[in-house]
Amino acid sequence: MSVDWSWIGDHTDELTSLTVSHLQAALSAVFFGVLISLPLAVIAHRIRPLRGLLLGISNVLFTIPSIAIFVLLLPVSGLTRTTTVIGLTIYTLVVLLRNTVEGLDSVPAKTKEAAKAMGTRPLRTLLTVEFPLALPVIMAGVRIATVMSISLVSVATYIGDGGLGQLFTDGFQRNFPTPVIVGVVLTILLAVVADALLVALQYVLTPWRRRRT
Amino acid sequence: MNRRTLLGGLFAAASVPALSACASGVTSLDGSGSASGGGGSSKGGVTIGTANFTENQVLGYLYAAVLKQAGVKVTVRPNLGTREIVIPALRSGDIDLLPEYQGALLNYLDPKATAAEEGAMQNALTLALPKGLQILPYGAAEDSDAFVVTRETAKKYGLTSLADLKKQNGRLVLGAAPEVKKRRVGAVGLKDVYGVEFKEFKSLDSDGPLVKGALKKGDVDVANLFTTDTDIEANDWVVLADPANLIPSQHIVPLVADRKADDTVRKALARLGNVLTTAQLTELNRLVDKDKKDPEEVADDYAKRHGLAK
Amino acid sequence: MYELFKNLADWLTSGASWSGSDGIAHRLAEHLQYSLLATLIAAAIGLPIGLLIGHTGKGAFVAINLSSFGRALPTVGLVVLVFLAGGLSMLPVYVALVALAVPAIVTNTYAGMTAVDPDVRDAARGQGMRGHQVLFQVELPLALPLIMTGLRLALIQVVATATIAAYVSFGGLGRYVFDGLAQRDLVQVLGGAVLVAVVAIALDLLLSGLQRLLFRHRTA
Repeated sequence: MSVDWSWIGDHTDELTSLTVSHLQAALSAVFFGVLISLPLAVIAHRIRPLRGLLLGISNVLFTIPSIAIFVLLLPVSGLTRTTTVIGLTIYTLVVLLRNTVEGLDSVPAKTKEAAKAMGTRPLRTLLTVEFPLALPVIMAGVRIATVMSISLVSVATYIGDGGLGQLFTDGFQRNFPTPVIVGVVLTILLAVVADALLVALQYVLTPWRRRRT
Repeated sequence: MNRRTLLGGLFAAASVPALSACASGVTSLDGSGSASGGGGSSKGGVTIGTANFTENQVLGYLYAAVLKQAGVKVTVRPNLGTREIVIPALRSGDIDLLPEYQGALLNYLDPKATAAEEGAMQNALTLALPKGLQILPYGAAEDSDAFVVTRETAKKYGLTSLADLKKQNGRLVLGAAPEVKKRRVGAVGLKDVYGVEFKEFKSLDSDGPLVKGALKKGDVDVANLFTTDTDIEANDWVVLADPANLIPSQHIVPLVADRKADDTVRKALARLGNVLTTAQLTELNRLVDKDKKDPEEVADDYAKRHGLAK
Repeated sequence: MYELFKNLADWLTSGASWSGSDGIAHRLAEHLQYSLLATLIAAAIGLPIGLLIGHTGKGAFVAINLSSFGRALPTVGLVVLVFLAGGLSMLPVYVALVALAVPAIVTNTYAGMTAVDPDVRDAARGQGMRGHQVLFQVELPLALPLIMTGLRLALIQVVATATIAAYVSFGGLGRYVFDGLAQRDLVQVLGGAVLVAVVAIALDLLLSGLQRLLFRHRTA
């Protein structure tokens, strides 16, 4: 199994656009995942009876094969990018929700009481005290969700999307390893780079943690 | 609150922002398009969809080449899936134009249709098409489904035609793409028309590596391939004859949404249809499958060489 | 929507859909076979690695990063790649499933080992226990709950992903998903998805029950 290097050289434009499309799908999913899981996590954190239910649902959704989710969405959103993003978003929820709830749980009760004693309103406490303190755990979830989404985008190739995943079906149909190898390598590179950028982002967002370590 | 409503809620929550973010990429649903096909316009650009096998992609890019030459803005969405997936996408507006095959399309739209001759089939298709879609004149090139066995299998069981399969009922394995299990030109029709019953149906792919590999290895005895596949000849495989005409004429025919069907599109595709022959299409498939050329490159090249594009 | 769920109920409850080589019973058995074997192989690879780096404290950085690297591997790509390299067999499926399961097992095993109280470890050494005795008699039992969690996590992911076997012509519950996609038969797709989810949840409950039974005495 050899790599046809000239094929790669001839297809840089296509590879670039597939990579961009791949990344866009994965990042949109993480973005919507965060948007949905933040309020849900606050609910799960505050209202104990709902916690098991919310985490349970996200766990159950996680056990459904991604390809099935994409297909089942076809009557709703068709062969579009929307289908891909909704499907991936559902997968990010399990990690994001669990980590955000754990992050909020990890904020010491005393800190919250202190904020309350100083007359800070609950919403303000949430935004200025609880979220920042929970950030490291939340960010750990965001990192896992991002890497996972980047690896999962290619499944959407079965519904005509899938970014770099298109290289897999193409190589498969034509018994042509080069596009497949390139696709796998680029997917891993994307994941590694995205993960590194998130680590850097976390470093910037949590200046108070730097001096301690 | 049961799980279904919860699921529904989650789906809705996730779909609203995602939909608005992608709104620009979705063509509007044109429910009012007239069945006669008047009033369509390709001005806003045409999105060509293709099914999940090589030839359909070659055809999609050929359509793209001639439409571009005619000044139409085109987008090609390759490898979307089976007819069962692609046609609903055409109706819902995700795509506008598809390279199709007369007989297979007619079977899909109306499994009871009996038309077998090109002209009759064209009429039957027009009647069977759902509102909002139309077919354009069919082209010269043909690609039929074929049921193929290896030379050894043919000898062993004395097979020359589909009718011979009946004698081996319950003994042979049929390999084909999953959708063929439920299609008339497939397990259903073989049973109805020839009384053939297989020991097993193996879900593989559309004239791809799985079905051809399985035939070579002997994992399946009968394989569903396409007549424009050079591998049939290269491997000395035997195409079973079809005395009862189960497999209809399969001229290539453009299927287009009314909303995009204007004279520019019609003329450009008609010219291509008149020029492209079965032999040429077979060669284009070979270039993609065997020489690993891009379908787009192969199509553009063909269009230039035959004066269809500059 | 109502129609879909009604048809699903019919499909799941009709005797015909359970029997035969394409029946649910057979597909279920195939799916379990793929999933359990893949997880077993992954455990055979991942457990020693996790235990070793946890015990020696060496190579943790590499192992953890390799794990997140493993998480980034696209399953579809891996299946196709191994298929193109070695031809049609179950090997591509097993390679992809094992690659998916190993990271979860390694990271959780390692986490379990690092969670062992250093004082306990020192006390064991102080009593004259040898390295492997410390590992098997002290560290491993203490790390076991987290190790089990890793195995459960891996198994759930493998069960959901074993659907891919159907893409390369094999069986399992993925057959319903891929055939349903090709035929646009949503009942089949939903049925396959529900069965996969049920298998994953059932296995998870089974393992967590086992875990609770084993470590009953510890949750005092």
